[in-house]
Amino acid sequence: MQKVFTPLLLICLLFVGACGETPSPSPYDQVQEETTQPKQTKQPKQISQEIHAGGDFNKFFPGDVNGYKRVYTSEKKGYAEAVLKKDGKVVATLAISDTMGDTSVASKFKGSDKIDGYPSAKQGKTKTSILVADRYQVTITSKTLSESDRKEILTKFNLNGLKNLK
Amino acid sequence: MSKAIFELMDNLPQNNITIMMLKSLDFVVPGEWQNIVGFDNMIRHETGEDDPALIQQIGEKAVRLYNDNTQGYQRAVWLYQTVDNADAALGAAALANKVGGKIPLLGGLLTNITPNPDQAQAIDLSLKLVVEIVAFCQINGIPGDSIGDFLASLANYSGEEIMRLATLICVDGLIPLGPDFLGKIHETLSNLSSNDLQNNKTFSSISSLIPGGNIGGQLSFINNSFDSVKGWMSDFVASKNLSPQTILNNLKSFVEFSDDKLDYVAAFLDLSTNYYEHTGIQTVARKLITRAYNEI
Repeated sequence: MQKVFTPLLLICLLFVGACGETPSPSPYDQVQEETTQPKQTKQPKQISQEIHAGGDFNKFFPGDVNGYKRVYTSEKKGYAEAVLKKDGKVVATLAISDTMGDTSVASKFKGSDKIDGYPSAKQGKTKTSILVADRYQVTITSKTLSESDRKEILTKFNLNGLKNLK
Repeated sequence: MSKAIFELMDNLPQNNITIMMLKSLDFVVPGEWQNIVGFDNMIRHETGEDDPALIQQIGEKAVRLYNDNTQGYQRAVWLYQTVDNADAALGAAALANKVGGKIPLLGGLLTNITPNPDQAQAIDLSLKLVVEIVAFCQINGIPGDSIGDFLASLANYSGEEIMRLATLICVDGLIPLGPDFLGKIHETLSNLSSNDLQNNKTFSSISSLIPGGNIGGQLSFINNSFDSVKGWMSDFVASKNLSPQTILNNLKSFVEFSDDKLDYVAAFLDLSTNYYEHTGIQTVARKLITRAYNEI
């Protein structure tokens, strides 16, 4: 009897094992867990109330610049985004984000070079950004424009206006 | 909690009937769509970066944004998933029957397929259009009933977004309803009662996210959405010189059928593909990654 049961049991275990197969680990498992805990989904109220609406930033973007057409693409809380296009193709992405409550962003600008008097930082191969009023990150990313071109376009934002945004 | 965005991207198929169909329609929007699967692959493609530490940092920020319920990205994915009514079993059976790289649309496969009546097909296309508008607003943060903003952005659609709309016009419009699909949809929507709409299964699934306040208001929103976009669709068809025949000729690259079974081709593709979900996940991941890189 046992001879019959053992293979049956093995088959059942294999079947159950296959059904309960867990997905392979991902490098994003930890952040997924952190951000799906109920207590993590709420931000402190006083900070979230002070974060600007994305629409507040639109007027500080450059218009059409250096032969590129500027098109607004996104407007979320604390974030506004536009692209620069030429012949219908995206050449660069521009963004202003409110870093209020996120100290990790501001720290990369410490002791850095300046653009128009504002601290600047280069990340990776395609991104250049500046920090205005210790709070607003103004960014350009482009897979095709050189760093000097990116820096030049950053100066076309209304940085002094943004500095005075309360 | 629905699936994590990295899981959704990592689990996208590299090849199935949806991908075969989209590739066969490349002639409509040449070179616009690449089937990018895998979360990190999308980060590399979208940002042009390859440093593993930077990719991890961008990915973590994108995951955080996606999991923030106030941001709308999850709702957009849910909409793209829910408006597709793919039957995975039929898709698998069809693939298993493949002969010489093509799916023969005959015999047993046909018995599982019932062509949609024109009214159901017209509602299906309209609801997919509404999902596109509402999901666009969820992703890009423009108020939920802003059809005007959506229209302005249609001109900027590219990549998987324009592939999705091109497929909508071809597979949900021209093939099942013929060259006058826009006229037929207009007629169907004009005569549609709140009751007809309420009885539609897809509408019931997504109605909680359709603006309008009540069933009458939602019906108006659907009508307004279609009216606003039909001109763009008509221009699209004309500028690409699209006809049911040109589309069918291209679909024949992966599915074999006789010309008296055209109704069945549309129904088969409707049931065996999930192009809204597939390209919708790619759209949400791409937008999230762009924003994440700008914000870190």
